[in-house]
Amino acid sequence: MDETTPPPPPNEASPPPPPPITTSGSPTDFLKGVVGKRVIVRLTSGVDYRGVLSCLDGYMNIALEQTEEHVNGTLTNRYGDAFVRGNNVLYISAAEAL
Amino acid sequence: MLIFSVFKTLTDQRVTVELKNDLCITGVLKSVDQFLNIRLDAIKVLDEARHPHMMAIKNCFIRGSVVRYVQLPAEHVDTQLLEDATRREAANQAKR
Amino acid sequence: MDPSSTGIQEPFDLIRLSLSERVYVKLRGDREVTGILHAYDGHMNLILSDVEETIMIVDVDAPLEERRAVKMAKRKMEMLFVRGDGVILVSPPSRT
Repeated sequence: MDETTPPPPPNEASPPPPPPITTSGSPTDFLKGVVGKRVIVRLTSGVDYRGVLSCLDGYMNIALEQTEEHVNGTLTNRYGDAFVRGNNVLYISAAEAL
Repeated sequence: MLIFSVFKTLTDQRVTVELKNDLCITGVLKSVDQFLNIRLDAIKVLDEARHPHMMAIKNCFIRGSVVRYVQLPAEHVDTQLLEDATRREAANQAKR
Repeated sequence: MDPSSTGIQEPFDLIRLSLSERVYVKLRGDREVTGILHAYDGHMNLILSDVEETIMIVDVDAPLEERRAVKMAKRKMEMLFVRGDGVILVSPPSRT
């Protein structure tokens, strides 16, 4: 090709935006950040709970609102509020931007 | 501690303990400890045909961790007292 | 500042607010119970009255995708202690 100069990187003057909080910080920071947000809680049994994370404690006991229970992809139950005992929790995943 | 206290008030009552292996044992609650280990006297196994090896046993010690349920005599449980005690314990826990 | 609209600060608040209410409890081993909650502790040991237990009996021969409860065994118990280590989820009656 005759064009040799690569296009200049856009807005060289401004520094790159700070990385989103999801990629930095401790697990505790993550957990603080997801309180009040939509999350997916996966249990070791493979069952998922999708809902708004009300709060959690050091044992990973979890209180959820507007909770949907999903068993291998299909909706199996709805709960207004739900308390999940921490020992069953495999992970908590953010289901919306933090 | 609260649940331990409840069981202590039920000593000498008949209870039915259901274990995690589905074995159901009815007997007189002789004692309980902080782990909710349970000693039962004058026991009877519900499904004796399925558990013939239990027939000769008159009393037993049950490790708390293998218990699934304990059916309690409702007439000896003061539910109002329980709820008040539970709220009190929850308040104490929050203070810590 | 409340983290949520309901104003609960820790998960156990959800349970405390359910005392003397009917709750749904999902347990290990494909079991569910509903009953009126009278006591709990930090292990999620529970004491419930007017209890109905449902045991889902799953057909293990069915293909994995359609392994729904094929049979439901139900039974009632007047007053029941549920050991906390079997508890997966507790849901209070909806407060809407």
